[in-house]
Amino acid sequence: MKQLLSGLILLVWAGLSSCSTPPANTSPSTVRIRWARDPDNLDPLIVSNLSAYETINLLHCSLLQGNDSTLSYVPWLAESLPTTRVVNDSLLHITYRIRPEATWDNGSPILARDVAFTLKVMNCPGLPIELAQAQFGFIRDIILDPQDSRRFTLLCTQQEVGSSGDYSILPEYALDPRGTLRPISLEHLRTQKPPSVVAEFARRYEALELARHPERLPGCGPYRLVKWQSGRALTLERKPNWWADKLPAPPPPLQAFPARLSFQIIPDAATATLALRRGELDLYSLMPAGEFTRLQHSPTDSARLRFYTTDSYQFLTASFNVRHPALHDRLTRQALTHLFNIPALIQASQQGAAYPSVGLISPRLRQYYNDSLPLPDFSPATALKLLQQAGWQRQTNGSWQRRDATGRLTPLAVQVAYRAGEPSFETAALQFRGAAAALGVAVELQPTESSLLNRQQEAGNIDMLISNLSGNPFLYNFTSLLHSSSVGVSNFTGFATPESDRLIEEIALTRNSSRKAVLLRKFQRLLATERPFSVLYFLKYRVAAARALGPIPVTGIKPGYEAARIRPLPLH
Amino acid sequence: MSRSRVSPGLAGIAGGWLLLIILAAWATPTTVPIPDLARAGYPPFQAPHWLGTDPQGLDVGWSLLQGSRTVVLISVPAALLTLLLGTGLGSAAGFWGNRLALTRARAVAGAGLLTSGLLFWAQLAAFPILGALFLLLAGSLEALLRRTRWGRQPHFLPLDAALSACSALLDSIPLLLLVVAVASVQRPSVSGIVSLLALTCWTTPARLMRAATLQVAVQPYLEAARMTGLTDLQLLRRHIWPNTWQVAAVRFPMTVAALISLETTLAFLGIGLAPETPSWGRILSAVRQAPTAWWLVVWPGLALIVTLLSLHVLSRWLQDRMDVTNTSNNLLT
Repeated sequence: MKQLLSGLILLVWAGLSSCSTPPANTSPSTVRIRWARDPDNLDPLIVSNLSAYETINLLHCSLLQGNDSTLSYVPWLAESLPTTRVVNDSLLHITYRIRPEATWDNGSPILARDVAFTLKVMNCPGLPIELAQAQFGFIRDIILDPQDSRRFTLLCTQQEVGSSGDYSILPEYALDPRGTLRPISLEHLRTQKPPSVVAEFARRYEALELARHPERLPGCGPYRLVKWQSGRALTLERKPNWWADKLPAPPPPLQAFPARLSFQIIPDAATATLALRRGELDLYSLMPAGEFTRLQHSPTDSARLRFYTTDSYQFLTASFNVRHPALHDRLTRQALTHLFNIPALIQASQQGAAYPSVGLISPRLRQYYNDSLPLPDFSPATALKLLQQAGWQRQTNGSWQRRDATGRLTPLAVQVAYRAGEPSFETAALQFRGAAAALGVAVELQPTESSLLNRQQEAGNIDMLISNLSGNPFLYNFTSLLHSSSVGVSNFTGFATPESDRLIEEIALTRNSSRKAVLLRKFQRLLATERPFSVLYFLKYRVAAARALGPIPVTGIKPGYEAARIRPLPLH
Repeated sequence: MSRSRVSPGLAGIAGGWLLLIILAAWATPTTVPIPDLARAGYPPFQAPHWLGTDPQGLDVGWSLLQGSRTVVLISVPAALLTLLLGTGLGSAAGFWGNRLALTRARAVAGAGLLTSGLLFWAQLAAFPILGALFLLLAGSLEALLRRTRWGRQPHFLPLDAALSACSALLDSIPLLLLVVAVASVQRPSVSGIVSLLALTCWTTPARLMRAATLQVAVQPYLEAARMTGLTDLQLLRRHIWPNTWQVAAVRFPMTVAALISLETTLAFLGIGLAPETPSWGRILSAVRQAPTAWWLVVWPGLALIVTLLSLHVLSRWLQDRMDVTNTSNNLLT
């Protein structure tokens, strides 16, 4: 009997040991980072979410890169910042030279013709170029320097110099080895019926299925894709002979230390926190504030983890689909905005570590922030008045209805969608629903899986969306977000007026900072009146990382850290 | 082996608790709760949130009361449907076995109707008038086939074998896995989750009812009744069901208990029900956001345990009262 008991105890012990926490990562050169969602699509022409943006920036290089500390662009693939020459009010010549050390993986140099090729791809009919058109449509043509194969000049209608170099440069040798697009000018592609070779190229490009097979497109960035398990993980490996390694003292954008970057897709915040605590993750950005504070105060966790906070340009918004019959007028949207209790939301979901804003310009950017506008306040009484002004009539059962232009009765009922598993979204949605219900406004909550949410958003099937949007402090181009040319592409609210279009274009064209400030303030006022979306608050990035990673280079620009510049400490 | 009987006092307490749940479900207002964000994640025993709040600022006590409505509105109808489906199929399989005689014409028409219903269920739900059309077509097909000699020949439907096969198939898949898989693709709704639970949980009552029916079906008085010329349906109504319904009655509280557990699990996982539907499982799931908030586990956990124990006691008490010994005691335990 004793033997039996001992055997049983041994069996239980063996079983429990095999089920216990696996040992923490022993390879110091692999950095495991939490992602909330899958990249979904890794075609450089379609960067649809934060995970895809981060991956593309590790696989490919742009000419310039945004820098949070200087609030400006810095050279990346470009040798130095470009020189500019103003031709007239609406035309600017921007001249770049590519670094002489820059080469593709096959050893061939990265030349101006690769930039020309990239711009042609971004304007190639038959490809998914809508987003690129919205963001970089202001680049009208490119002139290659006949004397210097690395020098070129961009002809731009917009005066934002930095954004003229903020797109991934693609290899001509891999995508168009016979150079079929070379004889066709960018101007010709943009304005005239393209020749048959263009359609043939588009077919070849589409056949590569880069959305799911990014490994078929060699980039000039420091990493290459090793493995992508959709919805689970994505692994990048450092190229052993990356061209920037030849530089004696590479500048920060050209530094890449970790041998492997493993992005773990964990949508649920609580599961991600648990994984971090168990040592199955090394870095977790945008951790829920409550858990972040708790871990900071836990002796066990603070012994293993380092904590960083930094102001960001990411903000929580409630976007309205202005095509929805109940939301097409500004008064209704204004009324619904008054139902968000922003100070309470900041306190409850961010532990006070966030700041409200009148609009999409961060209050940190004092020059451009319109501080004459009032912050949106929580006022059901004002919401009630605005609803009545918008023509809504309260029914005997407490609900609201109004007649549309055709005389049909429209009920005031909205569905609020948000990414499932994100506590701050859920808190805002629940608070809004409670306040709306007290007024008799029917609100249905729809926590949705991120890929499905994306598809619904693209199809325009979402009434109201609670989500995070990101900006940066050196680019003020709202074309993709709110211009009429982007409706259905990246302008998911569907909002656009002639005045907003004009302001967006003018802001992009203006180089004079005083003039830009005036226009940006005017734009914020217009958005505060029209309310295509309400900015609830600007977030602080909260990064928790294993001490073994060493100091983390945190930044206010998405995703809150620079993965390539993490320098894991050697194991002792 | 003898089993201790449930004392009336214990049965009274269990009944009282269940009555409280029903009362709470009936009396608690359906108004949407307003989160108290200033006191989000507050511990219990403080006014005005005596049972504490969750990380979204919702009052745990209020959520418990509103959650009891979900318990009653989902588990009870789902249990009734489950028992109706299970006992109906079990009785039929136990009574007719594999020898339910039909004409070939009727069998073909019935099979056609069933297949059409399965293939076009979405269209049927949207346009119920299609059901009448299918019935008309099936009737016409039967009438047409009955005119032929082939159509008039008898066909024995293997009802018992079919039920055993379906039951074995459903039981071979872990119930939670099956329910989670289906619930995660269907649109969250109360009716959807009730139907899903009923369609996946009918096998146990069906097996019990089949066994009970088989025990009654071999009794001599049934043979005598058959000799007097009673039809199959009359036999079922007058002699089988009056002697087997106790199995369903005793099984009912246990089915409700099983379905409460399943519903709570689904709500904990965040599937099956719309997020605005208050549920005990949803309160439990909030602990993932605030792992130190013990009150998010203790209060709904206690409510759940006491409810399940009460249902268990009620089931035992019913067994004692109905003296379901010979036919079903062995089956139920």
